[in-house]
Amino acid sequence: MPVLDIPLPAFMAIPFVAGLIGLAAPARAARWLALAASAGAFAYTIFMIADFAPGGEGLRYVTDEPWIPELGIRFSLGVDGLSLFLISLTALLWLAATLAAAFRPPDRLFERPAAFFFHMGLAETAVLGAFLAQDLALFVAFFDLMLVPFYFLIGQWGGRERVAATTKFVIYTLVGSLLMLAAAVALGVLSTPKGGELSFALPELARRSLPEGTQIPIFLAFAAAFLVKAPAFPFHGWLPDAYRATPLPVLALLSAVLSKVGVYGFIRVVLPILPDASVALQELMLVIAVFSILYGSALAFSTDDARLVVGYSSIAQLGFIVLGIFALDPKGAQGAVLQMVTHGVVAAALFLIIGVLAVRAGGSESLARMGGLAMRAPVLAALFLIVSFATLAMPGSPNFVGELLILFGTFEDKIVYGLVASVGIVLAAVYMIRFFQAAMHHRAGPEVASREMGRVDMAGIAPLVAVVVALGIYPQLVLARTEGDTTARLREARQLAGGVPDTEAQPARGVTPGGATVPGEAPIRSPSRPGGESVP
Amino acid sequence: MTPVSWGWVVLLLPLAGTIGIALGWRALPGRSAGWLGSVTVGLSFLAGIGMYLTLEELPHEERRLVGSAFRYIGTDTVDVDLAILADPLSTFMVLVVSGVSFLIHVYSVSYLGSDRGYARFFAYLNFFVFSMLLLVLAANFVLLIVGWAFVGAASYLLISFWYRRDTATSAGIKAFVINVIGDVALVVAAFLILNELGTLDYLGAFEAVREVPHDEGVLVATCLLLLVGAFAKSGQIPLHTWLPDAMEGPTPVSALIHAATMVTAGVYLIARCHPLFERAPTAAAIGAVIGTLTLVFAATVALVATDLKRIIAYSTISQIGYMVLGVTAFAYSAGLFHLMTHAFFKALLFMGAGSVVSALGMTNESIDRMGGFRKAMPFTFVTFTIGAAALASFPLLSGFFSKDEVIAYALHRGGIYSVLGIVAYAAALLTAFYAFRMVFRVFFGEPVPEAQQLAEGELAHVGPRNPLTGEEEDTDVGFPGPEHHIAEHSWSMKAPMAVLAVLAVVGGVVAIPGLTHGVETFLEPTFAESEFIADKPAPADQLKDLAIGGVLALLGIAAAYLVYIRRPGLARSARERLRPVHSFFAHKWYFDELYDRAFVRPSRGLGRFGRTTVERVLVQGAIVGGATGVVRAGTALARSIQTGYLRAYALLLLAGVCALALYFLIASG
Amino acid sequence: MSLLVAAAAPKIDLASLSPLIALVGGSVVVLMASLASSALVQRVVLPILGALSLLAAGGLSIAIWEPGRVRPVVEGALVFDTLTLFLTLLFAAAGLATIALSIRDEAIREAGAGEYLSLLLASIAGMVLLAGATNLVTFFLGLELLSIPLYVLCASLVRRRESLESGLKYLVIGSFGSATLLYGLALVYGATGATGFDSIARTVGARAATATDPLLLTGVAFTVTGLAFKASIAPFHQWTPDVYQGAPTPITTFMAVATKAAAFGVILRFFLDALPDAIDTWAPALAALAIATIVIGNVGAIAQSSLKRMLAWSGVAQAGYLLAGVVVGTRLGLQATVFYLAIYLLMNVAAFAVIVARERFSEHGDDLRSLEGLGRASPWLAASMTVAMLALAGIPGTAGLWGKFYLIRATFEGEYGVLGVAIVVGSIISLVYYLRVIATMWFDPIEIRVPGPPGRQVRPVGSGSPEADARAQPEVAGLAILCAAATVFFGVIPAPLMSVAVEVGTALGVR
Repeated sequence: MPVLDIPLPAFMAIPFVAGLIGLAAPARAARWLALAASAGAFAYTIFMIADFAPGGEGLRYVTDEPWIPELGIRFSLGVDGLSLFLISLTALLWLAATLAAAFRPPDRLFERPAAFFFHMGLAETAVLGAFLAQDLALFVAFFDLMLVPFYFLIGQWGGRERVAATTKFVIYTLVGSLLMLAAAVALGVLSTPKGGELSFALPELARRSLPEGTQIPIFLAFAAAFLVKAPAFPFHGWLPDAYRATPLPVLALLSAVLSKVGVYGFIRVVLPILPDASVALQELMLVIAVFSILYGSALAFSTDDARLVVGYSSIAQLGFIVLGIFALDPKGAQGAVLQMVTHGVVAAALFLIIGVLAVRAGGSESLARMGGLAMRAPVLAALFLIVSFATLAMPGSPNFVGELLILFGTFEDKIVYGLVASVGIVLAAVYMIRFFQAAMHHRAGPEVASREMGRVDMAGIAPLVAVVVALGIYPQLVLARTEGDTTARLREARQLAGGVPDTEAQPARGVTPGGATVPGEAPIRSPSRPGGESVP
Repeated sequence: MTPVSWGWVVLLLPLAGTIGIALGWRALPGRSAGWLGSVTVGLSFLAGIGMYLTLEELPHEERRLVGSAFRYIGTDTVDVDLAILADPLSTFMVLVVSGVSFLIHVYSVSYLGSDRGYARFFAYLNFFVFSMLLLVLAANFVLLIVGWAFVGAASYLLISFWYRRDTATSAGIKAFVINVIGDVALVVAAFLILNELGTLDYLGAFEAVREVPHDEGVLVATCLLLLVGAFAKSGQIPLHTWLPDAMEGPTPVSALIHAATMVTAGVYLIARCHPLFERAPTAAAIGAVIGTLTLVFAATVALVATDLKRIIAYSTISQIGYMVLGVTAFAYSAGLFHLMTHAFFKALLFMGAGSVVSALGMTNESIDRMGGFRKAMPFTFVTFTIGAAALASFPLLSGFFSKDEVIAYALHRGGIYSVLGIVAYAAALLTAFYAFRMVFRVFFGEPVPEAQQLAEGELAHVGPRNPLTGEEEDTDVGFPGPEHHIAEHSWSMKAPMAVLAVLAVVGGVVAIPGLTHGVETFLEPTFAESEFIADKPAPADQLKDLAIGGVLALLGIAAAYLVYIRRPGLARSARERLRPVHSFFAHKWYFDELYDRAFVRPSRGLGRFGRTTVERVLVQGAIVGGATGVVRAGTALARSIQTGYLRAYALLLLAGVCALALYFLIASG
Repeated sequence: MSLLVAAAAPKIDLASLSPLIALVGGSVVVLMASLASSALVQRVVLPILGALSLLAAGGLSIAIWEPGRVRPVVEGALVFDTLTLFLTLLFAAAGLATIALSIRDEAIREAGAGEYLSLLLASIAGMVLLAGATNLVTFFLGLELLSIPLYVLCASLVRRRESLESGLKYLVIGSFGSATLLYGLALVYGATGATGFDSIARTVGARAATATDPLLLTGVAFTVTGLAFKASIAPFHQWTPDVYQGAPTPITTFMAVATKAAAFGVILRFFLDALPDAIDTWAPALAALAIATIVIGNVGAIAQSSLKRMLAWSGVAQAGYLLAGVVVGTRLGLQATVFYLAIYLLMNVAAFAVIVARERFSEHGDDLRSLEGLGRASPWLAASMTVAMLALAGIPGTAGLWGKFYLIRATFEGEYGVLGVAIVVGSIISLVYYLRVIATMWFDPIEIRVPGPPGRQVRPVGSGSPEADARAQPEVAGLAILCAAATVFFGVIPAPLMSVAVEVGTALGVR
């Protein structure tokens, strides 16, 4: 047990509560509250990591209370290797973004700082909730709840066209989410064995089974929700407008964290609970992934808007993550998890850097109007360079380790997809270097005034870069802790895909939280299993 | 201390230098950044010697030590340590790399003396040395890839060092992207190795590969992928186009990275992976053919190129072709020997070129505007000529022994290799010719104004211009000019050139056929298991081949003398007569044009297509528009029905009732 | 009164009847009291009296609340089980809300407090009667008692054309509806020879033939029509937007929440109690209606710039959701429906309260533009409206999510998954107009322009500045905030309300 053991609900609520208090407190206090809260939350995640032994496995800090007995919904939270670093990432990036927002020169953002930080806090709580939730209904609730604060953050503090953009964004994502809601309910109901209690607890659902026939539509609904959030081609229609309208600190979170919740859902929910469908639709997902990689890259090196370069590039990066997950191979999944973390860090850093660049390029975020910024800002240039290299998965960066494992995992059974995807790495080099050069090199643009970054910018960006470097030197820090739980999630699907012998699978049951195994359970699911009949 | 611990020292010193300079750049006064960089690399060289000595003490079979720091990646079947391998080959490379790097650092201290980006330059340069050492010391493929990419990054940074030049930045991005292609090839190769041989560690993989049958398909594929990686780095066809453009970087960079060290990494890789290649001779043969092709191609281009640094660049490509031929002909010691000597004389040539270009005030690198520098820059002239002679494999100079040993081995291997050997001889003739074409064009003939003024002791001052586009340079970034840093004037440039000149002359003595076997015996433990270790040409044959090589060299030099000194008109008339050939060579066999049409434009087009068509039509149009369209239509319909008139409602009501009643009646029936 | 007299003869359980008595009594008392024309009485006493009788009704229904116990009164013409009592509570709450919204309204001043309030109470009495009806006669009686006062109340703004038009429209179509219903009931009686729901059920159950008897089914068809009209289920919904818009907003609120609850109360009882064995014939029909209603309602709402019309359309859509709960014909469906009815009341009252608060001084009346910049002007009102909209859209953190969750679950367990999907699709479409409201309030300067009516002159309540006005009508703002808070509360802790719904589920004889 850790040095200090805060119950997860409390930990999760910190930012939200701070935001609430901020609403009441005087406007100046709000940002300090927000900073303190996000810093505290982050500090605690560090404790969690420190407390998590390498090679460890299984849920900890578990909270499991009945919440809505009538609907069989439990308020159950927990941390395991899979979510550990994503939680820490969330907390870290929220800290960085809050910092970046808190000390902006008083502009539109600071018309209603208290409200702004309230929404930020609510958002952080919701995201943490989604990562911590061990009950499907709870996950769905938090997954949709995330949207509300972001809707206000973009709509109230966003740039031009913000209302149209944010409406589009919210509707786009909610289409997926609400379909997921229906799917989740259907899943819970249909998987309830005759006379059994309705339950949405993830481990329970993983044990219960669904005939493939009903799995596929449910899978599609979940996939829709997660892919829109990611976003993956062709579900990214909301991205350009939303990215242009969103204030940068918020955008950093939108792109770095929200996108991860979706892909996280694939590992946490879809693979263990819908293994048959995951195998049946593996090819489809791989095709989507590869398309996203190539298409996202192509867009990224043809756009002139700095935000969109990063935006489209994250379509490609998320494509890699999906690829790794649906390679249904431990290496791939491990790579995907690592990539979630590292891409989160670099994406956030890039958006914060864009903010710094724009200030020096006369407020413009168009590559054409930047240039020569490196001149009097060597530190900025260095940090930007490191981040760019990491983004294009330069070997030695943690992103490389992630993509290496993803590719290795894909090569195992689906080498063709792997080879096509590796073209994406080359394209990434093209657009990131193009971006870096356009901003930092060449002759200075007309309104460019090159100067070093301020202390505040530094405080926001430097730590992220430090994390990138540290993980680049020692990626095993993450891998050693994520391995057990990640591989446990996809074991079932792998058996169906013919990956592992059953013997290897049986002990896996034991480790799944709450996991008294159903006696005599055949590893391969089939409608004849108890619960199969409950399907109309 | 063990060789491994020396190895760590070797590795960490330049890294310390980088970090020190990067963090302390404000604090470091004057040229101290440069000296700091040079010292760290120099110490790293000394550590390399320590590595060598400690290794020599060990018995032969024990001269392979792996030192692991910690587990780098460990999950599922992947298990990679952060480990270095200390064996003769890595030691050899360490010595060459750190040694030459040290000299070039010293040279740069004053060559970039007045550059605004002084500290930045040395931070990059040290980072490069660190990366290169990491590359050669890596004990597994993953770490190799890391070093591989790092040198690529360093090379990119140094190529676009003067980043206000669009030519420099575009050259940089070109180099970087082609290098990444190489990296990706290595990644795939690494996977195949992991899958085939079960490990990513060199030694483990090389053990395991013995069980693999000859020319087994996957193994050949693996080796071909390794070759792609090697060629991307070493500027071999078809991935060579970045190297000439890389001359945009400051001259020391061209000397260090794009002549002496990085570009030879491909050769090192093939030598390192020789157990794989010996199991996949087909791949080796393909490599040899491409190497030979490259060496001919590059020689022909060097014949007609007019940009001094680019001539040397092409000659580099060509010389690396020889090395590749050597190592793929399983003549490892020969190939690596040539790698070493080439490092000496090519670095020397670049330094000389740098001195000359600087004398022209950085305004021009075209040999058409050079001439008669013999009197003005005697030291540069002497050293440059030595370098050129060594390049031309003038008898008894270093290049003479190394290059011709490679050819000797090729001929000895027989089969296709003997053909390649003969072709290589032909190219040697061209080499000698273009090497001295440079000498004669630059140092002989009518002195150009700059040369004359220089002879009178003062320097021509012209505002710096981009030699390619001729546009006014933005000196904010800084350039060596307008002060001219020429060997004649600063000892810290003279000293390294002198050292290299000596090495270029005597470097050959370590491996004179039949007399000395320095390189071979030292490297022997690494290649002990090689099938070809014993199978070498008799000294007599080697001497014969050497003789042929020497004669060809002399012929080439004589031809150059004839064309450029005795009958100056001859060159022009020849060019007139062979216009198509000339322009074919002058356009570098149209590789750039081809790639531009084949890859660059299509991908740009794809992006444009995506952004305009796909986004607008499919994503926004069909998906978004479709959905909203349907809803809108429905809305319009609903409004039109909602007239507000009771009669209209009554009608619908009636319809509804009838429909319901009808349904229930049907249900009843 | 008549009821009490009649009550002398047959055996009758006064305790169970007490809520109804309280309402009827209240209605009479208020009418009497209104003879005193002093401003104090008119302004203060009457509303208090009305409120008291509603509180009494509510209190009494809580007092006699007993899950599982069926209390037949008046010879089984009427039953006071948990369903009736729960709905009575809802009606009382709705009534209280309506009074709160009314006391400063033009309508009550023009119609006269006494008439206005006693009509309101009478209508509520009708609703209770309807909710408890277990007999075709009481059924119709309750329906009429519910409707006739409403016709008048809609027209209570006697000087406004729209109000009169709405009253008239409601009257005409209402009578059409009642007529159809009456005819339908007659046919059902003809087919089964019984008026009591239980005996109808018995006959239908006994002779399989009856389940498919054309006479019965035609009757059912007409009954459905009549009820569909009251519950504004498509295609019998078209009066809704016009009437809602024209009627005084407090009355609109009342109709939106109370009438719908009453209608669904009787629908539940009629179909689950009287026709459980004919479920295979009526369920598909209702399912079709539900889907049509969901789609039409949501699509219709998009184009609306008048908030009242918008809510009218959304009310239609919500009726579709509720109907889905009926279709499955299971206890779970019953629970889901009543749960949804409860939160539906909260969400709508919150929304309407804000509209009332705004239309009293905004020159845009109930137009969307009347909400512009509300986020700055009076954040609390805006927050309440936001919560209401998010809840109606079914966003987490509000009770709306669990309402939908419950219904969807019921549909899937009732093997009507398609309805669950329909609900989801409907919610997706509904986002468009709900979000637009939120955007109008918070995201200034508003970029979405919707055509609206020309501004009208209004007599500002209080000082004229938004804050002052919000303060000038504390009961309205308070009501909005209260309902919004409740919506959020049940969004976070829905269990209590759900356990009540479960108890209600015991009422009818469904599995």
